[in-house]
Amino acid sequence: MRAVFFAVLGLVAALAPATATQCYVSPVTIRDEWLTMEQTCYNMMRKQIQEEVAASIQYLAMGAYFSIDTVNRPGFAKLFFDAATEEREHATKLIDYLLMRGKLTGSVTDLITYRAPANTSWESGASALEHALKLESDVTNSIREVIKTCESSFNDYHLVDYLSGEFLDEQYKGQRDLAGKASTLKKMMDKHAALGEFIFDKKLLGLNV
Amino acid sequence: MKVYALIVACLALGVLAEEDSCYQNVDQGCRRTLSLPHCSAYYGQFKDNHVVANELKALASLYLKRSYHYLLSASYFNNYQTNREGFAKLFRKLSDDSWEKTIGLIKHVTKRGGKMDFSSHTTLKGDKGSNYTVEVGHEIGALAKALDTQKQLAERIFFIHREVTKNSDLLHDAEITQYIEEEFVSQQADTIRSLAGHTSDLKRFITENNGKDLSLAVYLFDEYLQKVV
Repeated sequence: MRAVFFAVLGLVAALAPATATQCYVSPVTIRDEWLTMEQTCYNMMRKQIQEEVAASIQYLAMGAYFSIDTVNRPGFAKLFFDAATEEREHATKLIDYLLMRGKLTGSVTDLITYRAPANTSWESGASALEHALKLESDVTNSIREVIKTCESSFNDYHLVDYLSGEFLDEQYKGQRDLAGKASTLKKMMDKHAALGEFIFDKKLLGLNV
Repeated sequence: MKVYALIVACLALGVLAEEDSCYQNVDQGCRRTLSLPHCSAYYGQFKDNHVVANELKALASLYLKRSYHYLLSASYFNNYQTNREGFAKLFRKLSDDSWEKTIGLIKHVTKRGGKMDFSSHTTLKGDKGSNYTVEVGHEIGALAKALDTQKQLAERIFFIHREVTKNSDLLHDAEITQYIEEEFVSQQADTIRSLAGHTSDLKRFITENNGKDLSLAVYLFDEYLQKVV
């Protein structure tokens, strides 16, 4: 095994002058027994980053929709633009975790692929809140899948703890918040839909009408 | 003189009718079904299907893509092998700025009565699209990518500015002009100038003293970037 490693190292060294130009700082090799992250777990983490990015773009589309003059729900727009920024931060945190564990030394470009948002209009504020709740539960479920994978063959205690402690914690609190908002809004809209949504929107802006 | 006064009066009435079309919608609608097509936020010659609206949306999409591209570059410079915190910081700032610009542009499109469309494409001839490669391998190459992509954004911004000022007889839009100038134009010049300056410095480290300074120079330059970005 060690022989193969050195053979590969030799090959890389032999090839290096062909690819190196005067702009490269000479590469160095660092021992790698500290790189313990398992491949399937790593792949799941990469997928999770893509999912957080997709959620951020979907939230941007929600913010855009509720900003339209004929929709005119600035409170909802703010809620969703903030959620978009939050999802982007989640993606960044997951990336930072992988970097801390010695990953992302190559194949970085294809870590994130841009896709236009799937939905661009909603029937009402309530339906958008429920869509957001669905998005969050999908994210939560896929984090659970990452956790399952990462504790199965090689138990990655630290990552599993990080995902459960930081990410699931935030997911569950976020879901509870959205569910509470959706439920209040739906009750407010029971007999007075237009007025209910108007007042709730201002409440989201921090105004008391 | 009387004829002149009559013309002025007619013109004034014409303008009044135009300005009052939302009120007309309301006035007629209140008697039958209330539909208010003329009560949108549109004014001037700005329309959602016009080239300017399309360019603003395409610019928002480009900033969004670039924001994630720069985030990936920042990540790449933060891996344990490259380990250039300063370069990572520079790209992270580009990413954060692009993200904010994205949201600002979306809001502005809707401020003027438009609807955001994430699949809008620019009609600017010669635009290079939104491809990007993170794994350039050397620091100067990554800076070059940053510079090229920032110049592309600047070209798009100038294009919008031309469309709302000189290019079109139909559309002179003072509000979009002011927005573009205040939020984009000068900041873009600063970013481009500082990236160009960085590449000049790195070039000297590569070419002078037979490149013997490079390893240490890039280390020091990275420390410098950590302080100034």
